[in-house]
Amino acid sequence: MVTTMLRQLGFSAGGPNNAEVRTVQPRRPQLVLRRGLLAAFLGVAGAAPVMAAQFQLPPLVEPASQEHHAGKVIFVELVTPDIAAAKQFYGELFGWTFRDIQAGAKEYAEAYLDGHPVAGLFHKELPTGAQRRPGWLSFIAVRDVDAAKEAALRNGAKLLFGPRSISNLGRRAVFADPQGAVFAVLASESGDPPDVLAAPGEWIWSSLLTSDPDTDAAFYQTLFGYEVFDLPADGSGQHFTLASDSYARASVNTLPGNRPDIHPHWLNFVRVEDADKTTAKLVALGGRVLVEPRLDRHGGRIAIVADPLGAVFGLMEWPDTESKEVPQ
Amino acid sequence: MNTLLVRWSGAAFAVGLLTTLSSGCAVDGGGYGYGADVGIGADYYEPYGYDYGGWGPGYRVGPYRGDGQRREHSGGAPSPHAYRSAPASHAMPSIPSGSRSTGARAGGSHSGGSRSR
Repeated sequence: MVTTMLRQLGFSAGGPNNAEVRTVQPRRPQLVLRRGLLAAFLGVAGAAPVMAAQFQLPPLVEPASQEHHAGKVIFVELVTPDIAAAKQFYGELFGWTFRDIQAGAKEYAEAYLDGHPVAGLFHKELPTGAQRRPGWLSFIAVRDVDAAKEAALRNGAKLLFGPRSISNLGRRAVFADPQGAVFAVLASESGDPPDVLAAPGEWIWSSLLTSDPDTDAAFYQTLFGYEVFDLPADGSGQHFTLASDSYARASVNTLPGNRPDIHPHWLNFVRVEDADKTTAKLVALGGRVLVEPRLDRHGGRIAIVADPLGAVFGLMEWPDTESKEVPQ
Repeated sequence: MNTLLVRWSGAAFAVGLLTTLSSGCAVDGGGYGYGADVGIGADYYEPYGYDYGGWGPGYRVGPYRGDGQRREHSGGAPSPHAYRSAPASHAMPSIPSGSRSTGARAGGSHSGGSRSR
């Protein structure tokens, strides 16, 4: 078959001494074109093995379940220029362990706590002089990423990536909401993680800090079907709780201190036993405390911190007793 | 082999290879960390250049524990807001409180019942 194809394209199996090859002249453009097409075909075929190295990630839930919790933050991912430093920092701070995943030039590590996936770390170079810093990206559960994309774009969001299917993990897409906060949606192939209380070292809560909570609450409600609960005014702007499946999933808040210089963003919290001790350990590991531990409405303390490369996240105590302290 | 033919074939091979690889990258990445950058947020490197803070003493972002208070005007009444407030009969929910070993259905609160989508 290949021989026939070669003949049709003007080649013969006779090797370089073949007379037909020797007689090819510029005045025979058809033959040149045919051979060019064959070379292009071979180029495509040669690239196939490279493309076959598809990027795969582990399933979110093992064994797979039929649970789905639209609107729940089911995964977070860090994009960092130094994955080794990030692994060391988060490993020592929270006891996470890591499994390296390599696909071609892509470097990725899945973080685990007690056998459960808690995060993904993705390596990406940060260009010198770029006014950017690493960040944690929140993945919110949906059933249908493409439908979510249509709804998001209809309601003022900007598509930043995807939708794209990743083997084993599922289909996902990344957006900027109408105020510019970046978030992702994920339709997990293996179902969503169960609704259980996060253990210390796991992600427990997410908050959106935005310049327009009212509009953003409506946006996310449209996208994920949230129930929106207005919280009592406290003089610091608007605050809402977003809920699905009868559980609080996230809060939406006016940016603190009316700071127009702060970009709207999602902030994810890791549960810790003791915010003060954890921040002290974090500082010893090279991290920074951005907001000192303080009492929040659930009776535990929270802190806002950054890893050594600047990725911001929160720490949150969730006392086992009904109320450790009562906020006034 | 004729020099012109060699050049044409080499160029076509390169074009085929590059076209295929670049189209593969477009499907494979196209932005956000897996391919070419497409602007702010696409690779999720946050904007830099501001100091975090401004959290006043009353600024709270966490969930309630148990039934929390809602703003009085919300729920049921026509809303002047872009969002729809949860029905007044629904109390403020909290986060899940069950453990992996005891099962998931604990915590939350309101009477809307549980549902998995």
